[in-house]
Amino acid sequence: MSVIDILTRVDAICKKYDKYDVEKQKDLNVAGDDAFARLYAAVEADLESALQKAESASKEKNKASAVAMNAEVRRTKARLLEEVPKLQRLAVKKVKGLSGEELAARNDLVLALPDRIQAIPDGSAPAAKQSGGWAASASRTEIKFDSDGRFDDEYFQQTEESSGFRQEFEMRKIKQATSLTFLQDQGLDMISEGLDTLKNMASDMNEELDRQVPLMDEIDTKVDKAASDLKNTNVRLKDTVNQLRSSRNFCIDIILLCIILGIAAYLYNVLKK
Amino acid sequence: MASSDPNKLMAKADKLTKLSLTRWSADWKSATQLYEQAAIGYRVAKNHEKAKIAFEKASKGQEMLSSPWDAAKHMESAAALAKELGNWTEVADFYKRASELYMVCGRPQPASDALAKGARALEDAVPDEAIQLYTDACSILEEDDKEQMAFDLYRAATCIYIKLEKYTDAATFLLRWGLAADKCSATNSQCKAYLSAIIVYLYAHDFKQAEKCYNDCSQIDVFLRNDHGRCASKLLSAYSEGDIEEIKRLGQSSIISNLDHVIIRLARKLPTGEVSALKTEAAEEHEEPLDENDLT
Repeated sequence: MSVIDILTRVDAICKKYDKYDVEKQKDLNVAGDDAFARLYAAVEADLESALQKAESASKEKNKASAVAMNAEVRRTKARLLEEVPKLQRLAVKKVKGLSGEELAARNDLVLALPDRIQAIPDGSAPAAKQSGGWAASASRTEIKFDSDGRFDDEYFQQTEESSGFRQEFEMRKIKQATSLTFLQDQGLDMISEGLDTLKNMASDMNEELDRQVPLMDEIDTKVDKAASDLKNTNVRLKDTVNQLRSSRNFCIDIILLCIILGIAAYLYNVLKK
Repeated sequence: MASSDPNKLMAKADKLTKLSLTRWSADWKSATQLYEQAAIGYRVAKNHEKAKIAFEKASKGQEMLSSPWDAAKHMESAAALAKELGNWTEVADFYKRASELYMVCGRPQPASDALAKGARALEDAVPDEAIQLYTDACSILEEDDKEQMAFDLYRAATCIYIKLEKYTDAATFLLRWGLAADKCSATNSQCKAYLSAIIVYLYAHDFKQAEKCYNDCSQIDVFLRNDHGRCASKLLSAYSEGDIEEIKRLGQSSIISNLDHVIIRLARKLPTGEVSALKTEAAEEHEEPLDENDLT
């Protein structure tokens, strides 16, 4: 892990545990009596974090995570917009120690908030509305208009054919409700539905198997380790048992026993005297 | 085992752990054993309150003995008993503590399992807390690169959101699910997640969001070319044309029937509200840029 990684990690951890920092809390609680200031500070903090998220979303290369982050930003925006009316109500309230100009300033701040909230880019804002963004590709809705037209072209060819088929089908239906082709079509419809279900089940099975593969690898390694441990233990046990039963050790044991008895007898004799 | 035995065991264990003039350090080893026996005795006697307390103390003892795994297991048992008692805050706390202990052991899988169990227990009583637990469990698994396991959790959390009728939150969560599926290349689940998100937005009668969502998701090739993507585009075009029959037909189609059953219920109820109103709105929007073009 490089120094930079360590630094970023430390920063993240510090930010996470900021709420335990007593001094910082004291600073934040300066506006403790003033409900407006507290709520406004909270909204500002949320705004900042939403902006940061939007920035990182725009830099994000992985499309799927960009989508998820954009959705988060949108959700935060909706929530903040709900808070604005509350702030407006609080802004008009008179708080002791506050001059008339500050009250007016607060009102302005609250009025400016909705614009700031809307200005947070969530990946779909038509940013260049006024500046002739017709050529620029910033406006998503315009792109959609274009691409929808293109896709519709391609698809439309197909739908011409298929609408032709459908018309034929309807005509035949009207003419002969019990003709063979009608039954065939019905049968084919049912087959296609069954195939859809099969396809869905097959993909689910595929994903499930993908999920099981790393688990099986883990089981494999663990069982291998356990087997080798067992083998080791068995070999050591065999050695120990063999050692206990070897005849050499028995002779040594008997000789030592005789020596000890001899020494004991000698001492007994000496002490008896 | 008579029911007085657990009481005696508890009393003995408490004496062993209480510090006094004659005892300068608590004997956690024997105390933990006694706590465990007492807890099992209480559980057999169906005395949930005392069993829960005994399990808590046993868990604390195991922590003192530096075996977080056993401590976590005892915490889980205590949490299960708290659930029987209906003490929801304690349930949440215990499961969270158990999860932390599992993480200390370095085993994220049981940690997230513990949180998932807690969330399931709290689903009916305190759904917000349950959602929080599910989110935490998902993050633990994602940090460990095991997103595949998180799919069930995402599904359960989405169901709770929809039950609470918090549709934007549900859709955001579905998009997070799509992200997790993308990381482990589970394309089928990813496309299903995106289609479900679009359906949720449409059900909440938020056509603009649904369009934005579709635009975002069509950046991802897999979704664009997939059946689900085509179904989504058909749905949106049916909405913009105000074609109620088409919407109903798509709602019955087999692609939607392969999604999660909660989403199927929503899809069958489409369209909600006035579809023709959306048609005129969409037409107006498209006129504006053309006007600017005339000016420039």
